[in-house]
Amino acid sequence: MQAGLSKAVVVWLVCAALLLGIPAAASANSPYDGYIWNSRSDSPSINGYLYKDSIDGYDLPSGPFKAPEDIFINDNNSIYVVDSGNNRIVLLDSRHQLIRVYGDEEGPGKLNGPKGIFVKNDGTLYVADTQNRRIAIFNHDGVFQKEIKAPDSPLLGANFLFSPAKLVVDKRDYMIVANDGTSSGLLQIDPNGSFKGYFGSNMVEFTWQRFFVRLFATDEQKAQLAAVRPQEFSNLYQDQEGFIWTTTLGTEYNQVKRLSAVGVDTFNPDWTQVQNRKKYGDIFSYGSFDIASFVDLTVDDKGIVTALDLSTGKAFQYDKVRSLLFVFGGLGTQNGLFQTPVAIDQTTDGSIYVVDKTRNRIDRFGTTPFGDLVHEASALFVDGRYQEAKEPWRKVLEMNSNYDLAYSGIGKALEKEERWGEAMAYHKMARDQYNYSQSLKEYRKEWLRENFHIVFISIIVLFLVLRFGVPLLRKQWGRWMPPKESAQGNVTERSGS
Amino acid sequence: MELLSNTRKALLHPLDFFYDIQFGGRAKWSHAGILLALMVIVHMLRISWTGYSFEGRESYQVSFLFESFWILVPWVTWCISNWAVSAILDGEGKFKDIVVSSAYALLPYIVLSLPLALVSQILTQGEYTTYYGIYTFIQCWVIFLFLAKVKILHDFELGKMIWIILLSLIGMLVIWFVGFLIFGLVNQAVEFVIGIVKEVQFRL
Repeated sequence: MQAGLSKAVVVWLVCAALLLGIPAAASANSPYDGYIWNSRSDSPSINGYLYKDSIDGYDLPSGPFKAPEDIFINDNNSIYVVDSGNNRIVLLDSRHQLIRVYGDEEGPGKLNGPKGIFVKNDGTLYVADTQNRRIAIFNHDGVFQKEIKAPDSPLLGANFLFSPAKLVVDKRDYMIVANDGTSSGLLQIDPNGSFKGYFGSNMVEFTWQRFFVRLFATDEQKAQLAAVRPQEFSNLYQDQEGFIWTTTLGTEYNQVKRLSAVGVDTFNPDWTQVQNRKKYGDIFSYGSFDIASFVDLTVDDKGIVTALDLSTGKAFQYDKVRSLLFVFGGLGTQNGLFQTPVAIDQTTDGSIYVVDKTRNRIDRFGTTPFGDLVHEASALFVDGRYQEAKEPWRKVLEMNSNYDLAYSGIGKALEKEERWGEAMAYHKMARDQYNYSQSLKEYRKEWLRENFHIVFISIIVLFLVLRFGVPLLRKQWGRWMPPKESAQGNVTERSGS
Repeated sequence: MELLSNTRKALLHPLDFFYDIQFGGRAKWSHAGILLALMVIVHMLRISWTGYSFEGRESYQVSFLFESFWILVPWVTWCISNWAVSAILDGEGKFKDIVVSSAYALLPYIVLSLPLALVSQILTQGEYTTYYGIYTFIQCWVIFLFLAKVKILHDFELGKMIWIILLSLIGMLVIWFVGFLIFGLVNQAVEFVIGIVKEVQFRL
């Protein structure tokens, strides 16, 4: 009896554990399906990021957020939220507890519709105080330091309106500002507030249509034409090495750029070559007929870029060499989807924060085990440590055999091991014609070296056959079928004409 | 057997061959049929045998219908249009001769593209000039045979031959346009009839 009772207890405990365990597993279900773009089409993948939780400010002493526009996370994982609708900046610590509020007190430091923020390592805040048409600077303790008003320069043109939206501050303390309505490039403003020139302008593409219209139009007609302007930058980000990354609106390719110190894109190769142009985001309409409009991006210390696309509501993550790793998010009302995603940033532990302006909250996403595995493999791979990356890539393939990048990675490792035949097979599975061809070249060389005697002998045999065998055969043929030959031989008399 | 010896002659002495084919019933419909079937088969084999360095499509990505459609339809419309145009403008060629010799004009592709596909297995993208050079050579040869065929069959001067070829190409476009038109109208008519039948069924 006693034994039976204890057995029943065990059974009940197991049942309870199962019941508790199943919802825990089911919560891993996500409102979006993982996929990546292969060389030809999209293919299902495992999610690399899943929704964790949200910060909406209701449980903070500062109250709920209202139409937040931007987020900045510093090296200590403190979070600065640009709470635009409340005209303030909210500073949270890494556990999402309130530390301080900036710019909400009456006085010279009062913010009005701020849209962007940058925080230096010493804690100095630079706020793009858009509606006040200035950049407001606060020290770490929340004391207003000074403001940068509209710079004055003939280069800016007569119609210039200073309306800073996003900014970063570089090592020289120059402010690099994305100004609403300025398409000539980013503004460089020195610490004294004077304009030091444009930085990293986008280029206007040559089109034959425009060329011919310009060629034949009269001066009056030319004046009627809409001016062709380069695309405007929508956002910018400064990575740990000091490179400035930008996102561009209104173009189908190379929307993500890394600008060098002189403002040249070093992330995408020469954009004038059509084959170098990379379409970031969804390649053709995947549930939406818009082209991708990237509004923000974040770059981690390994060079992995996560860019946020407003038109599909998805975040796209790329490695250092522009290969797509993960896509997550989407438009909708479930947790994990967004309504108006406007800003993205990440903490050092790899959590990604996305600001949803319409829902007045900030969603946190964490990596899945698959995501961690791909990151591990990719980090080794982009550093050229192909052999070390091989094992993680194999594990990636065990979980998801559709992940082309893993085949590429293993193929590269096999190349290092000089196993060309296998490398060819892997590059073919990765649908990588270029690297397949490179491996084939080495494979061919090796094969020729090993089988040189066979090749040499067969060349000699072939020569002998052609030199002596074929004439002999012809002779025999002629002896066997002389009548046919003569019958076919000469019907070509042009007697008629 | 006769097809084989014709092949040799068409490749080595095309001008004589196209001249001879007009006489003594040497043009055979069966030859045209066999050559066309070979053309389609060879084209499909070429796609699957070409090395991965040059042909990125996997076999499941290639549609037999699509590929053969884009060989047969232009070829058939070319025959019809060339025959029609040259019949109006004093061409001497008969329809049968035109069809059979047009099929023979495809020979360089049928004979050479499979060896090229096999060679491409051991070529890398570094040697793409070799590969595309040979491929372009094959195409030029086919085009040359088509030109020679028009000139000799209809016994045209060079200038008139070019004029006829231009007209034939325009004629092909017209045929396609009319084809699309008829397809659209027939489609509408069929839908109309189906609609009426459904309506009647519904009322009854």
